[in-house]
Amino acid sequence: MTDVVGTPLSAAPVEGPLAVRLRRFTDLARQVLRNKTTLAGLIVIVGMVLVAFLAPVLTTPNVPDPYQMPRDWGALNEPPGTPGHILGTTSDGGDVLYGIIWGSRVSLRLSVIVVSVTVTIGVIVGSLAGFLGGKIDEILMRIVDVFLSIPELIFALAIAAVLGPSFGNIILALSMVFWVKYARIIRGQIIHVKQNEYVDAARITGDSRFNIFLKDVLPNSVTPVMVQATLDMGSIVLVGATLSFIGLAEAGLAEWGVLVSKGQVGISTGRWWASTFPGLMIFLWALAFNLVGDGLRDVLDPKTESR
Amino acid sequence: MILPILLIGVSLIVFTLSRVGGSPIGIYLSHEMTPDEVAEIEERFGLDEPLPVQYLAWAGGVLRGDLGWSGVSVAPVTQVFPDKLAATMELSVAAAIVAVTLGIGLGTFAGSRRDRLPDHLTRVFSVSGASMPVFWFAIILLIVFWVYLGWFPIGRSDANTFASIAHPTGLYTVDSVLAGNPAAFWDAIWHLVLPAITLGFGTTAIITRMMRSSLVEELGEDYVEAARAKGLPERLVMKRHARRNALIPTITVIGLSFGFLLQGTVVVEIIYQWPGLGRWLADAVLRGDQATIMAYVLFTSVLFLTVNLVVDIVYAYLDRRVVLGA
Amino acid sequence: MTSPVDGLPPASRPLVAEVKDLRVHFQAKAGLVHAVDGVSFEIRDGETLGLVGETGCGKSVTARSFIRLIPSPPGVYAGGEIDFWSSAARRKGEGPIDLLQIPQKEMLEIRGDRIAMIFQDPGKALNPALTIGSQMSEVLFQHRSQELMEAALEEDPPAILRRAARQQSSALERLLLKLPPWRGRMRRLSRRVDELVARALTETQISNPRKIMDSYPHELSGGMKQRVLIAQALACNPDLLIADEPTTALDVTIQARILELIAELQQRLETSVLYISHDLSLVREICDRVAVMYAGRIVETGTTKEIFSNPLHPYTRGLMAAVPSAAHKRGELAAIEGNVPELVDPPPACRFNSRCPFAVEICRTTDPRAIPIGDEHSVACFAYESGDRTELPTLEQWV
Repeated sequence: MTDVVGTPLSAAPVEGPLAVRLRRFTDLARQVLRNKTTLAGLIVIVGMVLVAFLAPVLTTPNVPDPYQMPRDWGALNEPPGTPGHILGTTSDGGDVLYGIIWGSRVSLRLSVIVVSVTVTIGVIVGSLAGFLGGKIDEILMRIVDVFLSIPELIFALAIAAVLGPSFGNIILALSMVFWVKYARIIRGQIIHVKQNEYVDAARITGDSRFNIFLKDVLPNSVTPVMVQATLDMGSIVLVGATLSFIGLAEAGLAEWGVLVSKGQVGISTGRWWASTFPGLMIFLWALAFNLVGDGLRDVLDPKTESR
Repeated sequence: MILPILLIGVSLIVFTLSRVGGSPIGIYLSHEMTPDEVAEIEERFGLDEPLPVQYLAWAGGVLRGDLGWSGVSVAPVTQVFPDKLAATMELSVAAAIVAVTLGIGLGTFAGSRRDRLPDHLTRVFSVSGASMPVFWFAIILLIVFWVYLGWFPIGRSDANTFASIAHPTGLYTVDSVLAGNPAAFWDAIWHLVLPAITLGFGTTAIITRMMRSSLVEELGEDYVEAARAKGLPERLVMKRHARRNALIPTITVIGLSFGFLLQGTVVVEIIYQWPGLGRWLADAVLRGDQATIMAYVLFTSVLFLTVNLVVDIVYAYLDRRVVLGA
Repeated sequence: MTSPVDGLPPASRPLVAEVKDLRVHFQAKAGLVHAVDGVSFEIRDGETLGLVGETGCGKSVTARSFIRLIPSPPGVYAGGEIDFWSSAARRKGEGPIDLLQIPQKEMLEIRGDRIAMIFQDPGKALNPALTIGSQMSEVLFQHRSQELMEAALEEDPPAILRRAARQQSSALERLLLKLPPWRGRMRRLSRRVDELVARALTETQISNPRKIMDSYPHELSGGMKQRVLIAQALACNPDLLIADEPTTALDVTIQARILELIAELQQRLETSVLYISHDLSLVREICDRVAVMYAGRIVETGTTKEIFSNPLHPYTRGLMAAVPSAAHKRGELAAIEGNVPELVDPPPACRFNSRCPFAVEICRTTDPRAIPIGDEHSVACFAYESGDRTELPTLEQWV
């Protein structure tokens, strides 16, 4: 151990702010990846995303719409292991493996679109509430509270039902329901920063509100938003699949929820594969994102013990 | 209390949704009607009034018990509601009992053996529970326990047994006890097992996780060490000190997970053919029965808000001492 | 302070506890931390022994080892023994038991009954959700259930009541006990326990014990809570009281009163006290003897008078340099240059050598041993090997 008294100031070179950010990022990334379950989740996600991207290559896309399950009247209800249909076929002769692969594409699309939209809406609403304060803040937060009073699935279900059964409407419905938490996060951050003394110092030096937003609020919000978004990637697919299962998507869509719904008819006669495999995919997707989300939260926000 | 504001807000949303989905009196119209006849019906139902007036009329109707006409059941919503509600309540309560007892038990078990095998296994269970698509889990359980093993039946009851007793409360289990009919009671329980487990699974996972982390936190507190220093055996330290205090934050999660449970009833009732609110809703969705859907949304939100309010009050009562003592 | 064992000179009073070469290690990611590494000292009947050292020197770990409170992963009792003579054993002329070896069941009987402990933060040592009375009665139910039953119940009470007195009732039994046949008798038991608890509280000069018993911890002040904890610790008249920095978390004004209380109770009840502190001024006030600890080892032991008037070990001298000076905050150690060494897998050496102005080659390569110097004074420093004390500079040259 070195002596405390009389130690000269370190003569190490000073890093630029960008370099500091980059190093902090790689440190965090390393910490996150150290957790084995998080790593497993990440691998699964990467795998599924790859499958989604490579769908046109891995399978022969259906014509005219690859997102519709192909029909083969000559191969109805084939069990797994049948040549050409490793995972079996549905009651329409659709290849289960095809459904799984294109379903991952659908899920990826769904979750990415919804998360992007909801984060944007949430950030806008949260910023307005946080910055403008007063009456507007109150009104917006009341709206947030009202939205939170209705359980997510039921809310999205009602919206999708009212708009009409289509996958596009499911995307719309989910976007209208899932933005709320982000608004709260951003608003919370703004209020926190507002209360911080150094912001007053910044104001004195003439930094505009927008600058403060960019420099202080946004960077601090990144972590909780990232954690929430990761978890939402999983939840959105879960809820979306549930809505499709109930019947709010187009029949015949190559989507996991639709497939499970279609396949359940056959289970009383022992045809388990058409529901089991697509459902398994939903589970794995949600599981992977939950694991990664938890891992992120453990590292980035150790106060909240999520274990 | 902002509860009234929230209720009004929810009702506004419901109202808006119902108007968005096209005319709510669509079921009364048909293609053969002349525009005049259509206008007459619209006027009769107040659709020519400005929206705020329509809202008040509708809200007034709701408060008087008029929730519209259910196209699915071909009857007023409020008439069909109670029976369906009883069935769903029975299922939900059964699932909640499973979830709370199992969740607290498992959470305590895992928390007291931190970082050892039971803890790791419980964590896997927790995460799976939160990620599990309820409808898929239901189907898997059905495949194993109904199709292959034949241990459990589907549906709520055996028709004959059900018909053999009176149904004063609408709750099959309670009614069979009141009627003193053990066969009916077993019939009720036997049909409840699979759906209750399916429904309770996700909630169990949430409660387990919270209980575990609460317990771990309490076990790290000084008073637990002090209790040991008094010579109290570990079992007493765990039960009387650590676990009792760990239950308090867990209660808040129990309230929140109720929402989770409610959402699960929809698909569980579909798959197990349980004649409750959830299945009614599913039918309504498929057939565009607006009134039913909106009544359902209204009901679940009110229930959800009430449960959370109760939980908040209970927590505040219990926490008064804990927070101040810290 | 004079000791209660009248007449007998310190050295010939019977032993209550003897720590022999205690080693406690902790498994950490970096390696094995030698938190306590070869600690030996004695506690005599009726005396107050102070265990002094800076934060992290291992004094709390040593104290907790007496009643095996160290959590087992990551802690490990790696060696040595803690011999203990209860008053009953001393009366019968029996030998000691090794606290580190006795079975858990026996240890539970000793905790709270023969050896009691009070902790640093009274606010945290009490369960916030239980009343004071119910927490204190736990100790009495645990250790005095026989006495309670004899006083409150009929001869040969049924099993369900016996289990209740020992706090072993199952959930079902607890429900049954609320019913009439048992309810009356449970009430008599509770009344008896409450009497004993009230008595214990009065001993600590609490004037309204009943009110305190019905209160929750958060309703009491810090000083009051510590009194309660002291009362609880002494409720079963233990042979040894271990006090781990009992006044650190309290106001200065309250501190003095608590110290007085401990000293007075110790005299009256003839309990031996192991008093842990980093604050030399407090130790000087109430301890008969002092053991100075540094980095997991004892560096010097002796009577309070000796240690304060004639500190031998360079570390002790450094500590003393802080005591009289008004320039330093009370209890804050003077700036001895350097830092406490890493205790992970340490090599054999004197742990203080990196900060010691008198360090020589041997200090860096060999573990020092305790050298007795005169009556009741021993020091672990190579400078005293030859018995020549005048080689070290005087106190003035240190400041």
